[in-house]
Amino acid sequence: MSEPLLSVKNLKKFFQVRKGFPNPKTVTVRALDGISFEVQRGQAFALVGESGCGKSTAGRTILRLLEPDEGTIEFDGQDIGKADAKQMRALRKRAQIIFQDPFSSLNPRMRVGTALAEPLLVHGLMGKKEADERVRDLLEEVGLPRDAGVRFPHEFSGGQRQRLGIARALTLNPELIIADEPVSALDVSIQSQILTLLRDLQQRLNLSFIFISHDLGVVRYFCQVMAVMYLGKIIEKGPVPKIFDEPLHPYTVMLRDASPVPDPTARKAFERIEGEVPSAVNPPSGCHFHPRCPHVMDVCRKVYPDFIAVDAERSVACHLYADGRGGLPVAETAAAIG
Amino acid sequence: MIHPGNPRVEPVLDVSNLTTSFRIGGEWHAAVRGISFALQPNETLALVGESGCGKSMTALSILGLVPKTNGRVEADHIRYEGKDLSRLPDEEMRKIRGNGISMIFQEPMTSLNPVLPVGFQVMEALRYHQKMSRGDGEKRALELLELVKIPSAKSRFKEYPHQFSGGMRQRVMIAMALACRPKVILADEPTTALDVTIQAQILSLLNELKAETDMSMIFITHNLGVVAALADRVAVMYAGDIVEIASVNDLFARPTHPYTEALLRSVPRSDRDTKTLYSIPGAVPPLTRMPEGCRFAARCELAIDICRRQNPPLETLPAGGAHSVRCWVRGDHDLTAMKEHADV
Amino acid sequence: MTDHVDVLPEASRHPFIDQLQKAFRNNKLTGVGAVIFVLIILVAIAAPLLAPHDPLQQHIIARLKGPSAEYWFGTDAYGRDILSRLLYGARVSLVISLTAIGLAMVIGSIIGIIAGYFGGMIDLALMQVMDVLLAFPALILGLIVVAMLGPSMENLIIAIALTAIPPFARTARAPTIAVKERDYIEACRALGFGHPRIIVRHIFPNVLSEVLVMGSLWLATAIRVEASLSFIGLGVKPPTASWGGMIREGFENILDNVWLSVCPSMAILLVVFSLNLLGDGLRDAIDPKTRSDS
Repeated sequence: MSEPLLSVKNLKKFFQVRKGFPNPKTVTVRALDGISFEVQRGQAFALVGESGCGKSTAGRTILRLLEPDEGTIEFDGQDIGKADAKQMRALRKRAQIIFQDPFSSLNPRMRVGTALAEPLLVHGLMGKKEADERVRDLLEEVGLPRDAGVRFPHEFSGGQRQRLGIARALTLNPELIIADEPVSALDVSIQSQILTLLRDLQQRLNLSFIFISHDLGVVRYFCQVMAVMYLGKIIEKGPVPKIFDEPLHPYTVMLRDASPVPDPTARKAFERIEGEVPSAVNPPSGCHFHPRCPHVMDVCRKVYPDFIAVDAERSVACHLYADGRGGLPVAETAAAIG
Repeated sequence: MIHPGNPRVEPVLDVSNLTTSFRIGGEWHAAVRGISFALQPNETLALVGESGCGKSMTALSILGLVPKTNGRVEADHIRYEGKDLSRLPDEEMRKIRGNGISMIFQEPMTSLNPVLPVGFQVMEALRYHQKMSRGDGEKRALELLELVKIPSAKSRFKEYPHQFSGGMRQRVMIAMALACRPKVILADEPTTALDVTIQAQILSLLNELKAETDMSMIFITHNLGVVAALADRVAVMYAGDIVEIASVNDLFARPTHPYTEALLRSVPRSDRDTKTLYSIPGAVPPLTRMPEGCRFAARCELAIDICRRQNPPLETLPAGGAHSVRCWVRGDHDLTAMKEHADV
Repeated sequence: MTDHVDVLPEASRHPFIDQLQKAFRNNKLTGVGAVIFVLIILVAIAAPLLAPHDPLQQHIIARLKGPSAEYWFGTDAYGRDILSRLLYGARVSLVISLTAIGLAMVIGSIIGIIAGYFGGMIDLALMQVMDVLLAFPALILGLIVVAMLGPSMENLIIAIALTAIPPFARTARAPTIAVKERDYIEACRALGFGHPRIIVRHIFPNVLSEVLVMGSLWLATAIRVEASLSFIGLGVKPPTASWGGMIREGFENILDNVWLSVCPSMAILLVVFSLNLLGDGLRDAIDPKTRSDS
């Protein structure tokens, strides 16, 4: 495999929270508890999980919008964590972010053309005239009229604002885009428009994506590789088709089975789906998933499982796959959907 | 199994020609225009559509919760237990809300009062509507919390909403809605704000409750996967119209309105590989600038001349069952006759 | 594949203009307030042209006269024309309060935005100082400052500005904190913009309307404080006319001629009233609950 574009090793991010009344105590939330992964050029890599699993924190820490507490982030061989202000400015051109909420991602007091031209001017990449022309090209590229730049954000619909957010991320010709739930706030018909646009851009511009999402359908459509997160840790990682066909971790199985499918003949009783994500302030001992796991063993309650490679492409953090154990019962992995 | 359209079964809720309009800039615009449907006993009817299609407005109109200052609800009738809700005075309506018909909202965080214990809030409806004593109320409220599977309900009875997770709060909301054994529950996107594993649990809870009691439910959602998981019958709404209504199996097997079909092809699915995703061009027109004729025509690949002039009626398909579609092209229309008629 | 069918056909206006328009359209009283205030300013500017007499000219034979054709609002104890003194007094009152509030607006906004944007210790330290200032009632703080520095126009301006800085800092800080959390600020950081640029280009325009509304409401307060300080003798030195000073002079002769005090009081009432109408209308227009943009 060629040199990865992004390589994250043992990344950690903790938050201090003051909790309690009348005697507040400072507690540490381990939002990111040592995650590692690589993103290849032109690849869409999914970070999947439920709220509070740390997937959004991961996206922001990689861009150093949040300062990492531990671990390394290498972008194209360069350590982002150690970059000084000047190097960081150069790196900022190469990695960008798209947000979930199209209503908070644009400055309501700035014409969109001005906002889109701003990064080009700030980085001194081109003059005013040239930048205006580039803005028109960008607007066209994301499927908006070339003269939309004279308008203010409130004049656009949710889907159009999301297009503007994508245009802004593209201004500096980045190689990596972190997309944080980019279609979750959109209606179905608009969602498919945006997904189609993103895929088209990915192919034409050879972009890499870190695609943060809780929607397995969207991930299956858009991404090639995925990592499933639970309480700040990656619990399973591998190629998208394989994980969907044969999930290894019991939590991945649960997520897949819980995802509603537009097919009434595949209606399920959602039997094995139990419990809720525990608080990240005080995660369960051993494997964080053990209180909800249908296959829990004694060892799960005491020891956090190692992240082990099952084959060349797939890894999982589960005691079922430790030496000598056979993994999940076959009936369950080959489960009943599709 | 339910028999939609079976005339021998008296529907619990019969909505006929409901129109809800809002005054925007001095003019009245219909957010829901002339929709009709009947809810059978123990049936779950899903209202599906994208934002602004009028699905939530329909629920609010049934309960008489549309703000009177700039909203207006008109209907031939909204019949419930022999009463016409559209003509009921406020005083009478209050007795039905939360008692015979109750509602579950999307946001369990804002729908519960943060300064009152959850047990008390569940009990409140019982005390108000059924004039229960404190002791009886507490007993029944506890039963309800256990019914919606809140773990160690007894010890959590006196806790406050912020001590509950999102999923647990939604269970409390459901307990409150069930308190007076309503005949009809209106659930407005009750799982949209929840994580998938919690959503699955709430959906299976609602399915169980439906099997155990004789309640009927109108389930409002934008998520076709959720519809497939619990609806008996589905009404697809677009820009204030019901464009298609059918049993859940018929709808997913034979989506007939071009909008329904396009919607189903636009959803990326987790159970199969999707090579290319279909995209419906354009967006829903804003309420103030609705086009003439079929409101979907501008985004429809099949649109013909008449679609842009005249809104098609909702007609039952000849294939049998109770599958109705509002479409000139896909519906059962003799277009040549229509054309001559239009020319006269 | 694209959804440009619904891009609005109308020309694009700055949301700020929209808000202003909304303020005047939704509430007619906003316009009434604005018109009265603008008229007062025009009258103050044109005082030398409009005043029938020299405001300092004493007419010994016409002391404490009631209204007449010669002296519309009568004369004071030195025989000076009250109308002329009112017109010139407007200049003093308005210059002092406008300058003071202008100063307070600029300094307060800078403090508030910096505190809100950077947060942490900077926020804590700055707002602590503001709280100390805020603990004094406006009049008392003004009194202390003027008593320490001596009564003069400049010191009056400083005193009033000082009392008005903390509310402006608070007004600017709250929206700054809200805006700072928005995704577009994070996008700015991801695009490599520096803090000064983010503050000036992206935070400030979103705070401006709130600060301006506060300004129009505090202008009324400033006029009142100026009058109060002048009334107790800490304002501009006599014989220069100021409304507060005139009320005090009139107060000494209230039994002989009521007009002396009533006229300047009515003038203050009119200005404060017009500014409150204007400010309330503007505030309603930028209220997030009724705002169309997020």
